[in-house]
Formats: sequence, structure tokens, C-alpha cells
Amino acid sequence: MNNLMLFLPETVCLLGALALFAAQVFGARYTVVWITSMLCGVAATFASVWTWDLKGEPFFPGVYHVDFFSQFIKAMLAAGFFFVAAISSRPQTVRSDAWSELPMFLLLATTGMMMLASATELITLYISMELAAYPVYIAVALHRNGHTGGESSTKYMLQGMVASAITLYGLSFIFGLTGSTYGVDIVLQLETLAGQPLFWLAGMLVLSGFLFKLAGFPFHFWAADTYQAAPHEVVTFVATASKVAAIAVLCRIAALVAPASVEAASVSTVLMWMSVAAMTLGNLAALRQGDLKRLLGYSAVAHAGYVLIGIQAMSATGLTAALFYAMGYAAMSGLCFLVVVELGRDEDLVTVESLAGLHERAPLLAGTLLIGLFGLIGLPPTAGFIGKWFLFSAAIEQGQFVFVLVAAINSAVALYYYLLVIRQAYFAESQGGPIPTGVVTLAVAGATTGLVIAMGVVPGWFWTKAVRAVAALMGQFWVSA
Amino acid sequence: MPLLTSILLCPTAGLILVLLVPGRAVQAIRWISALSALASSLLSLQLWRAYDTTAGGFQFVEIIPWVHEVGISYHLAVDGFSTILVMLNSLVFLTGVLTMWDLDVRVKEFFAFMLLLVIGVYGVFLTQDLFFFFLFYEIAVVPMYPLILIWGSGNREYAAMKLMLFLLAGSALLFPALLSIYHESGLGTFNMILLAQKAFDPEFQIFVYPFVFLGFGVLAGMFPFHGWSPTGHVAAPSAVSMLHAGVLMKLGAYGILAVGIRLLPDGAVFWAPTFATLAAIGVVYGAFIAMRQTDFKFVIGFSSVSHMGIVVLGLNLAVLGQAGQDALNGAVFQMFAHGIMTALLFSTVGFIYDRAHSKTIADFGGLGSQMPRAVSVFILAGLCGAGVPGLASFWAEMLVFLAALKTYPWMGVAIIVGLVFTAIYILRVFSMAFFGPVNSQWDGLRAMDLKGWQFLPRAILVAVLLLFGFFPRMLLDVIDGTTTTMLAAF
Repeated sequence: MNNLMLFLPETVCLLGALALFAAQVFGARYTVVWITSMLCGVAATFASVWTWDLKGEPFFPGVYHVDFFSQFIKAMLAAGFFFVAAISSRPQTVRSDAWSELPMFLLLATTGMMMLASATELITLYISMELAAYPVYIAVALHRNGHTGGESSTKYMLQGMVASAITLYGLSFIFGLTGSTYGVDIVLQLETLAGQPLFWLAGMLVLSGFLFKLAGFPFHFWAADTYQAAPHEVVTFVATASKVAAIAVLCRIAALVAPASVEAASVSTVLMWMSVAAMTLGNLAALRQGDLKRLLGYSAVAHAGYVLIGIQAMSATGLTAALFYAMGYAAMSGLCFLVVVELGRDEDLVTVESLAGLHERAPLLAGTLLIGLFGLIGLPPTAGFIGKWFLFSAAIEQGQFVFVLVAAINSAVALYYYLLVIRQAYFAESQGGPIPTGVVTLAVAGATTGLVIAMGVVPGWFWTKAVRAVAALMGQFWVSA
Repeated sequence: MPLLTSILLCPTAGLILVLLVPGRAVQAIRWISALSALASSLLSLQLWRAYDTTAGGFQFVEIIPWVHEVGISYHLAVDGFSTILVMLNSLVFLTGVLTMWDLDVRVKEFFAFMLLLVIGVYGVFLTQDLFFFFLFYEIAVVPMYPLILIWGSGNREYAAMKLMLFLLAGSALLFPALLSIYHESGLGTFNMILLAQKAFDPEFQIFVYPFVFLGFGVLAGMFPFHGWSPTGHVAAPSAVSMLHAGVLMKLGAYGILAVGIRLLPDGAVFWAPTFATLAAIGVVYGAFIAMRQTDFKFVIGFSSVSHMGIVVLGLNLAVLGQAGQDALNGAVFQMFAHGIMTALLFSTVGFIYDRAHSKTIADFGGLGSQMPRAVSVFILAGLCGAGVPGLASFWAEMLVFLAALKTYPWMGVAIIVGLVFTAIYILRVFSMAFFGPVNSQWDGLRAMDLKGWQFLPRAILVAVLLLFGFFPRMLLDVIDGTTTTMLAAF
């Protein structure tokens, strides 16, 4: 019984996906599907929170690890799914005959991501990763305009599959070197492995797969194109839940190598350069974008760079900061995409220009966008400000003054393109009439805005949770090993 | 309710109320803003009165742990400097709200952003936690963008963006610097009072100090990073220019003082000659450029660069020993005096502009006979800038001048040259716009001169300038003790 409890969030998601499948087979109206999907999101969130004090392994030993870290991530993922479900009341950029399928695919992907957060064995890890990826490949292709959907889906899927093939290739090296696919065994051999170049090559290959999900440099090429061409709701999912999952795995990898000081230093250097490249490229590319989703896509690349600041610090504070930022980032970019979804009901492309006069057409949406963008810029009183503060603090703790300076200057550069968006929403002449917005969407927008501000004003609670998650994560391998 | 938290809560409560009131209820929004300004002004007055100058040091301490794990606490306390700067902010806030009373475009948003700005400024002056210091600092800067963009005039988009990029570039320098101070101390706290007691390694101080100084220096309008300031002044609406020049630029100077000089004294000493030189150049340069301007607001904008140069010069001379007491007293006095004076100038220019829709100096002539009351207020403030005795700035400028003469005589000469230029550009404005042949185009303004309650904000500011011009000790007594404590480290 206890074992079942440990697998509760995933079970809820799977059952939910089945229910959604049944609803779709029996031709339920979309409203029913929509409400069911929201209920699934709420149930999965509660299941994760309810089980987050548990600790253990529901299956064979060493394969699947449940602790505060994994459940905390699952809670975020489930909440992310709920968010996407809630704003998908009328996913008009999705093919009309596929509306009912959308929530199912996203929920399946959420299940995969949840498993990713717990997997401690390489094959489980890989399977979870694929389970998280495939439904999204399909969802991206569900665009009402077949050509657009096909293009973005092909780009996303081809690059994604290459990335996961590379990961698999790396995993095979690790298996070859250690004779085991269990994280615990591999950690035990870390000291001997460290001398072998092949192990580092393997590590880099594995890493690249997850950097792809995070849209980190140099695996970021899909981001802008996919963001631009995929249905808005799907992009929201990719930009929020997907990122949290990728960060969770990266944290796990970092926690694995962190205690081995010499090795950690070299991984850290690689990640640091990737971080610098990601934020510089992302920000510079975003400066030139006229399409709001492309702009947010490049901003996501830059933010992958910010998160790497925490991860490359290879310390408890660094990982805590990365988790904290992941939480905040998911909420902040969710807010921006919520506005995209609302504005883009009838349009495939949402340009920065189309925001003109948003403050008159829909004051609440304009406010939502403002808080979301303030967060992404890193201005108080939002999660973005304190999140960056924590990330930068972790790097300074490691003596990386110049790195932090580069990151901070990057944030100042990013200010320019975010401000142009705000300027458009608050200053440009209005075109078109008021935008009707559903009650559910407004409620979700309000709650998420509240979360972003709460994280910025009273970060203590969230920080404590992140600290506890990282403690669970760091403790796991080294206590059991 | 503790006094300092109450001061912070007044504009916060005002902000929440303004957000709750529907945008149509313009009058209610104005009154809420005015009452919250009045309440915080009264509390600031109470603070000034209750601050024990004989005991000195930090008083009214409030500490609540905020993020315990990393040593962030909600920590408020004031010393002599922050006491008077809080007062300055209250005065500019109150008179700013009154100046904008007639605003009718997007009133709700305007006052909401203005209140947010004011919260940030109060926060910086009141907090003694390095994290909150930076947090409030950013909160104060952010509203400038929408305030200039939406309610500004002229080249406002350019000005707003330039201002934000400059200021956030400054913050980019501060980010690593402030965090380094925290980690280097090894104390695990952002408590600035504790950090000040820690003697940092001189090499570390010398490395970090320029980041702190330049990061805050940008906001202080320090030469050669002042470019954002005059354009921002010109494009901003009156009350925003008042807050911008009156208090926001003081945040920069206060940051240098409270973080740079207090936490990193050795670094300050090492860099003082360099930065003092830049400041002295700024004093002359700002005044020199102001002589050539054709726009009222550009004249005041560049005069701010020049006058803030005196503040920054004073701060740098303070750590060099020879006449530290005078230099620091003068610098802090100048922050206050310049804040009031420049608020008065912008308030009055804004008044004239709103009626004449021109701020080109050459457009006017003999305005003194058309709008005698507004013009007299402007003249009084202008004379204050030129350092005329009997007005507050005189004492401030004289103290810094004396200190400069003792430390680096050529800098004393620079100040004199700056003041001569100041006299020239002020008198040039007077003679071109206010006196001489009357330009009959503006006869219509006769009916629109200051009257009734419109006197109120200007009268308050004039009274303050005269008060401290005649009784400088009232202000010096508050800051002198803190100056002594601070300079004990040198």
C-alpha cells in the first residue's frame, strides 16, 4: 500500500490520461474534456503535495527514488499542467478535430516528466525522457494550419530525437564503463571513473540531451522556431513544465558529481561557458524579434543560461537557487504565454505590435503581462529579482565575480527588448476592441501573478522548500552509497 | 506601530488604495495620494524631532528575520543622514502630488507608479539590510520608465529607454559587488551595521569599491555617466522630474555613502583622488554645458549634474582626512538643499510649461511681468543654485568648497569656476526669459499665474530653503554626529 502511495502522483496522471482518452473515444464535448483535464491537474498537484513527506522506492531497489525533491518537482509539474489546462478553454490554434486529444497528450508528457524527476537508473531515465518527449512532438503537430504544425513539429522532433539518441549513446558508454545502469553503483565508481576521458565524453553526451530540453546553448536552435509555430497552449507547456523537468534532471546530475571536487570543477567550467553563451546569444537574438513567441523563445534560451549559473556552482546553494528560479521562471513565463494565448485566439502569429493598447483592450491581461515581464527582466517585487539574486549569490560564493558581472550586464541588455513589449502594451495606440477573457483564465492569471509576487516579497517559505528538496537530493546518493 | 515601518506603510497603503479605487474616481485618487504624502510627512517630522542627536548612531531599530537561511532580515534603522533624507523625500513627495493635482491623463496609473517610486526611495533610506537596500533601490528606479513614457513630453521614448538602460547597467555593476561583500565577510548576514564593523581585506576593498561607486554613481548623475539624467529630466512630467532630481539622484549618492564608504573605507580612500577629480570635472562641465542650453529643463538638468558633482566631490574629499568633517557635512547638506531647490525649479517650470506649452527660453521675454508670482519663485530657486547666502545651498556649497581648498586647492578653484558658470546660466535665463522686452505672445498667461492653493507646494519648498538658509545648524546638528562616527574609521 505504501508503495502505491509513493507512486500516487504518476498514477493519478496515468488514470487521468486514460479518462481523457475514454472521453475522447466516446466523443465527449470539449468542455467536459477541459474540465476533466483541470481536475486531473488539481488532483495530481494534491497527490504530489500529499506525498512529499514520504521517502522510499516503490519498485526494485535503486531504480526509482521518491523523496521530497522528486515530489516537490512533481508538484510543480502538476501545477504547470493545471495552468496549461486551465488556459486551454478554447485552443483555437489547434486543429478543431484534435481539441480533445490535446490535454491527454500533455498529461501523458507530464507523467513522463514526473518519472524523470524520480528515475535513478539509466534505462528508467531514458524511458521517462522519451515518455515526456513523444506526446509533445505530437501536440506540437496539432496546429490547425497543417503546414505550420508540420514544420515546427518536424524541427522539434528531429532535433529532439537526435538529442535523445546522443543521450542514449552516452548512457551506453557509462554502462560499458561501469557494468551497471544503477545510479548508486555508478556513484560508487566515480573516483576511478574520473580518470577516464571516455567517462567525461559520456557525461557530456548525456548532458546534451537535457540541455536540449532546457533549450540551453548549443542545443537551442529549436526553441524560437517551435515557439513561433506550435499551438500557443502547447508552447506554454513546453516553456513551463518542460523546463522544470529539465532543470530537475540537471540538478540531479550536478548533485551526483558535486561532491567529487576535481570532477565537479571541470563540469562546472563547461557549464559556465554554456551559460555565458546561452544568455548572450539568447538576449542578443531576442533583441531583433518582432514575433512575441519567438522573442519569448530566445528569452527562454537566455534564461536557461541563468539557471545554469546555479547548477554550475555545484553547491547546495547553487542547486537551491536553480530550483527556486525554475519555480519562479515557470510562473513568470506562464504569465506571458497566458497573454499570448488570449491574444492569439484567432491568429497563428502574435507579434509584438499586436499588443498595442493592450492596457485599454484588456487591463487585467496587460497587468499580467507586465508582472510576467518584470519577472523575466528581474525587477522587484517579483520572483525574478530575488531568483537572480540567489543565483548570482551562489556563483559569487564560488568566487566567480566576472561571471556574475557578465550575467548581470546580460540582464541589463535583456531589459531593452522586454521594455519594448511593455511599451507596446502600455503606450502604443490601441487597435481593436476589448478582448473578452474567461473567468477561469483570469482566476489562474490572478493566482499566478500572486505567486510571482509572493515569491518576490516573502521568499522565505519557497526558499525553505527548495533547501529541503536539495538536501534530499544531495543526501540521497551519498547516504545510500 | 513602529515609527519607521509606519513611514514606509503610508505610501504602501496609499498604493493599495489607489489600485482598489476605480480609475474614474480621479478626485479620490488625488486625495488618497495627498493624504498618504501628508501622513508620511508628519511622521518624518516626528522622526526628525525624535532622533536623538546627542546619542547619534542608528536609532529606531526594527529587525524581523526574512529569509533566515541566507541572513536576510527586514531591518530598519536611521542615522542622522537618513533622517534628513527621509524628510527630503516626504517634502518632495507631498509637493509633487500637489504639483500634479491637475493631471487628467491616466490619473490612477500615474499616482500608483509615483507611490511605488516613493516606497522604493523611503525603503533605501530606511533599511539597513543590504538585500533590502538593493531591492528598494530597484523598486525606486523601475517606475521611472512608465512615468516618463506615458506622461512625459518631447523625446520621451528615447529618454525613458536611455534612463532605464543606464540605471540598470549601474545595477549590473552593483549585483556582483554587493554579493561579494556578503560572501567575503563570512558573517552570513546582510545586516549593514554588522558588515560595517567587519574590516575587509584592503585588496578586496580596492577591487570592489569602484563597482559600488560607479554602480551608484550612475544614479547620482556622476560625470561621465550622467547622459541619462538631463534627457530624462526634460522628458519627464513635473512631479517626476521633481522626484527624479530631488530624491532619486540622492539615492545614488546615499548608496555611495552607506555601502561604499561605510563598508569599504580602505577602498574609498584608495579611489578618492580619482573619483574626486571626476566629480570636480563634473561640477564645471555641468555648469558649462548648462550655459548653452535653449530649453529651461535642460538648463536645470545640467545644473543637477553640476550640483550633484558637488555632493560626490564632498563624499570623496570626506575620506581624505584633511577636512573630512566639513566635506561630508557639506555633501549631505547639499543632498538635502539641492533636492528641495531642484524640486522647486521643476515644479515651477512645469507650471509655466503646462500653461504656455513651451519651455524654450528664447520664446519668452519679460515673463516676469506676465507671471510675476511663478517667476519670483523660480528666481528664488535659481539663486539658491548659484549659492546666494540666506538660502540653504549656500552652506552646503561653502562647506565643500572649504574642504576642497584644504585638500586639493585646484578643486576649490573648480567649484568657484562652477559657481561662476552657474551664476551666468541662471542670470542668462532670468534676463532672456523673465526680464527685458515683453513678448506679447504670452499676454494670455497673465490670467494664469500662481494663485490660491497652487502656491502651497511652492510655498512649502521656499520656506524650507529659507529656513535652512538662515538656520543651517538645525540641519547640521542632525548630521554632524553621524559624520563624526563615520569618519572615525578613517
